Amino acid sequence: MDQNSEVNQDELIIKQQKEIEKEISEQFALISEQLPVDSLNNEYVDDPVYKQKVEDISKKYRFIRKVRPDGNCFYRGFGFTILEYLIKNKDEFTKFREIVEDSKAKLLQLNFPQFTIDDFYDTIMEVINRVEPKDDNQEIVLEELYKLFNEQAYSDYVVVYLRLITSGKLQEDADFYSNFIEGNYTSLSDFCKKEVEPMYKESDHIHIIAICAALGCAVRVEYMDRGSHTEVIAHDFPESTNNPPIFLLYRPNHYDILYK
Amino acid sequence: MTSPSERRLRKEFLELIKNPIPGVIIDGEKIEKNINEWNVTIIGAEGTIYQGETFELQFLFNDKYPFDSPSVVFIGKNIPEHSHIYSNGHICLSILSQDWTPALSVGAVCLSIRSMLSSATKKERPPDDLIYTKTCSKNPKKTKWFFHDDNV
Repeated sequence: MDQNSEVNQDELIIKQQKEIEKEISEQFALISEQLPVDSLNNEYVDDPVYKQKVEDISKKYRFIRKVRPDGNCFYRGFGFTILEYLIKNKDEFTKFREIVEDSKAKLLQLNFPQFTIDDFYDTIMEVINRVEPKDDNQEIVLEELYKLFNEQAYSDYVVVYLRLITSGKLQEDADFYSNFIEGNYTSLSDFCKKEVEPMYKESDHIHIIAICAALGCAVRVEYMDRGSHTEVIAHDFPESTNNPPIFLLYRPNHYDILYK
Repeated sequence: MTSPSERRLRKEFLELIKNPIPGVIIDGEKIEKNINEWNVTIIGAEGTIYQGETFELQFLFNDKYPFDSPSVVFIGKNIPEHSHIYSNGHICLSILSQDWTPALSVGAVCLSIRSMLSSATKKERPPDDLIYTKTCSKNPKKTKWFFHDDNV
């Protein structure tokens, strides 16, 4: 019957989505080891446009760390690379921790319910405290960071909290950010509920601007797409930054981490 | 050892006992027996077309909660007659599928459903009620909902 086939299709689509998710999670670590950046060539064997761009990026960066392509890659990659940077630059670590500590009170002011926020806040603070750099422990805490970000229970909780921080910043400065929202949203808070807070929703410029502003960070994103130029295009967030210390590679719908 | 999903549900349970939501009653005894299955009574708000009526919601949670949304349906004899609620109890509400976030909670879902009921001006079923209820899966999470109107 027609009617039946219609519904079976729903179940089929969902089943297929689950299978794809499973395949992705078996194939990709949440965060990979550092790989030589020219290993990207393996993905573009017969693709001259991208090969040329890989060549360009190989001149500027030495390593890449792949992030699982599950829609959370921006937050996961950003969170990992910022903490990795702070471990290596421990003067800035304490300030960052204070900013994250203060973020909870701001979220509560914006009417996020405390008992749901607590879990995510406690987990991100636990991660931050467990990777705190002290004299001589850099290697150990870097290893710990890698382990924690590959453990779903920690990694996903951090992603949730970074999404909440982003949403909080967008709503806090709603007058500014609402100028950049396009599409069918009744308000900035509606946008946040649909495009920022749910897991697996991808991130765009506005998310990056907001999270950098909220955490006092700067990041350079290298954009690599099918466009006609032969080079990848760098975009710094915030725009006024001189040489941001952390780097992400953007390919359509996906972010990975880059290293000089 | 309790799993993270159970810990979270216990926390929500305690929170709802400490700070009950008006018009929302949870069946604590049942929850004590099985934390992954909650029955919640929703009382139609005063001054709305559901005033004086009570409805029963069933929440089912899996071990991925709160990353996975709960499965939420109306059960029992009285299924509210509403343009987003099918006669089999399934509810078309975006936060129960694509707009679910781990910062939402049982309480937030109840509030949303109560406000969805309160804003209705006419008792009617969704236009595709007959087809949908004949053919859908028992689990509303196996339906790919698409949302026509967020304002109701």
